[in-house]
Amino acid sequence: MSGIPTPHLSRRALLLASAAMAVTAPPAAEAQTSRPGGTPTPVPGGTMVMIVNPEPATLATYAVSAGNIPPITTQIYEGLLTYDWDLKPQPLLAKSWTVSPDGKTITFKLQEGVTFHNGAAFTSADVAYSFMEIAKKVNPNGPVILRELEAVETPDAMTAVFKLANPAPYLMMSLSSNNIPIICKSVFEDTVPMQNPSANRPIGTGPFKFAAWERGQFVRLDKNDKYWKPGLPLLNRIIARFIPDAATRSAALETGEAHYAAYSAVNAADIKRMQANPILGSTTRGYGTTAATSVLEFNMRRPHLAKKEVRQAICYAIDRQFIVDNILYGFGKPAVGPLSSVFSTSGWFTADVRRFDVPNRLEIANKLLDDAGYPRGANGVRFGLHLEINSFGEQWLRQGEYLKQALAQIGINLTLRSEDTATWLRRCYTDYDFDINEPFYSAGADPVIGVHRHYVSSAIRQGTTFVNNKDYRSPVVDKLMDDATRELDPKKRADLYHAAQKQMVEDSPGAWLAEVQYVTIFNKKLHDHTMGPLGTYEAFSRAWLER
Amino acid sequence: MRAALKRFARNRMAVLGACVIGLVALLTALAPLLYPAGAFTLAGPPLQPPGLRYLLGTDALGRDVAAGVVAGARTSLLIGLSAALSAVLFGSLIGALAGYYRGAVDIVLMRLTEFFQTIPAFLLAMLLVVILSPSVFSVIIAISAVSWPGIARLVRGEFVALGGREFVLASIGLGASGPRIIFRHLLPNCVSAIIAVGSLLVASAILLESGLAFLGLGDPNVMSWGLLISAGRVTLRSAWWVCTFPGIAILLTVLSINLIGDGLNEALNPRLRER
Repeated sequence: MSGIPTPHLSRRALLLASAAMAVTAPPAAEAQTSRPGGTPTPVPGGTMVMIVNPEPATLATYAVSAGNIPPITTQIYEGLLTYDWDLKPQPLLAKSWTVSPDGKTITFKLQEGVTFHNGAAFTSADVAYSFMEIAKKVNPNGPVILRELEAVETPDAMTAVFKLANPAPYLMMSLSSNNIPIICKSVFEDTVPMQNPSANRPIGTGPFKFAAWERGQFVRLDKNDKYWKPGLPLLNRIIARFIPDAATRSAALETGEAHYAAYSAVNAADIKRMQANPILGSTTRGYGTTAATSVLEFNMRRPHLAKKEVRQAICYAIDRQFIVDNILYGFGKPAVGPLSSVFSTSGWFTADVRRFDVPNRLEIANKLLDDAGYPRGANGVRFGLHLEINSFGEQWLRQGEYLKQALAQIGINLTLRSEDTATWLRRCYTDYDFDINEPFYSAGADPVIGVHRHYVSSAIRQGTTFVNNKDYRSPVVDKLMDDATRELDPKKRADLYHAAQKQMVEDSPGAWLAEVQYVTIFNKKLHDHTMGPLGTYEAFSRAWLER
Repeated sequence: MRAALKRFARNRMAVLGACVIGLVALLTALAPLLYPAGAFTLAGPPLQPPGLRYLLGTDALGRDVAAGVVAGARTSLLIGLSAALSAVLFGSLIGALAGYYRGAVDIVLMRLTEFFQTIPAFLLAMLLVVILSPSVFSVIIAISAVSWPGIARLVRGEFVALGGREFVLASIGLGASGPRIIFRHLLPNCVSAIIAVGSLLVASAILLESGLAFLGLGDPNVMSWGLLISAGRVTLRSAWWVCTFPGIAILLTVLSINLIGDGLNEALNPRLRER
């Protein structure tokens, strides 16, 4: 770790610290005291090094939704809420809240005694400004999440009242530090948000303060001594390191130079080797709000793909377990429909849909194509289609190569086309000049956030990326999803989603391939880093380093 | 010609190179018999080490690496030969025009050649492939586009040297047309130099093609050595065989072509004849 000063705790300080602990902790024979369950007691201090990949282009998390920003900015900015392992809302900057029976008014009571890193006191005015002026106007998810939000009233400094046009049950699922960070009104007032000086020198209320950003190297975050949660954070400093080469990232973890790497920072092929390393641990927890799924999109404007039989036959032809085992290296599971099985905790997911993983799937697929009027030609080929290769990494080329083989089994000759990102996106989302596309989506904490826009007909917006480019128009699904957006009763909402999934799988406007399981690799000396479903999208306020 | 062949045969390294290339060509010809299912077929369980069942092992998707190496040979030879050939044709034409007509034609064509020579070849090739969208054809175009300037300068130099010779002056005096002098008298006199340099172009074209495929800029529907290496790179530490064998194939092929090129140069170049 060159160039980054690491504060070393002297032997004496360590002795003092353990002596101090001995007073508060239960008696223990050794200097290292233990909590119930054999885990060591937290000690404050130390510098945690996490790998963030790739380096973010900006830290303006309130205006840019790129996934590599929040691991840094959620240490600095806080949201109104956080979530427990069951995805139930928990207090963060909001101390408590009440939802009116009609679902149109939400009253938040705010934490008292909170100050921003610049010394300004946190009040309801900051909340109102963050939502109405920043999130609603410049946050890319704002138009979806905050569609029904009409006003934020501030009857007093510690109360914020959200006025909604219609009930929005998903709103309470979208108020984390990552979704809607609370910014300081006095810093942003009368400025252009993206050009605000604090865009890349963030000022928030979180446990860590922004200290420095050496482009191409690291972002340094220092402990916020005035953090409103007493005794927290435990770490003195967090260094977010940027290492472009995958092999070097793995090596940094293996040598103990870095303590933590989440999402795809570690190459899937390397994970098994890292898991065998005695100094490293791994967890698949902390991705509860990601629900990442790899899918195929069928362009239903094309004559072959306009036929439901053809689309279903393609779905039958694909061995999803093969994709999980050989392309995701086992880190994932086969997908059965448009909703990830992550949503089974909330009851929205159902596996009771048309299943494509039946033993005689190839037989069914071939029959469907015969019945659709596409007999095999002399060379065994029925017709040809193009697959647009996802340009975000070579695992997608591997997937394309597999799909080519899989579709050859049912007489469809798939030709792969790989283009640069801009051309690929234009072809698939602006020109609609594609047959099959292989994108990758995160659903977010609620289907409204990341699922609806791929299937409802109102989301056929030419030129907007990652929306309904399939020309899928189902009045049934439109109605079910629209009702689910407003339904407050969890049971009824689940029924609506179950019906929608059934209908969508039957129509097969796309194929759902695999639910990606991310793995966090960490040094075993780092404790209490993954404390909830948000994982790396939440502050490391309780994380600590064993020494 | 017989004498040249004899001189070539005297160079053991060049003969060795020719044997390796002959073997590669033979494998390419036999590919449909050896691996009738093709290189992309999922032949068995993934990441099997080299053994009796899978001679060179299988890759992360369970494709036979041996089938990939054989299919890659075809792609590499095809692209290497066609790219080198088109670069030689185009480069010779430009060089011949510049060297024969001199004056304004020479200045314009040589500045153009220098312009292409100063752009880093690999970057220009990448750019062209991205613009034309990756396919075998666009890769050939891109490689020829970055390979012709060397040939053009060589041919121009030869033409300038030959331009004042008596046989050229005699032809002009007899009223021969420009094209006739270029194609009947001048070009045949520098063909040995062109062959020697052109054969080396094949080797660099194969390297360029592998580099492009490694970066994901090859034709995704065609197996190539670069594609195999790029796919095997992620498993390098757990399955060495996936990129090792295509790497060895590239090494041997390019080395052999270079040896052949040196041999041809010695055999055809009169100045080196008595060495």
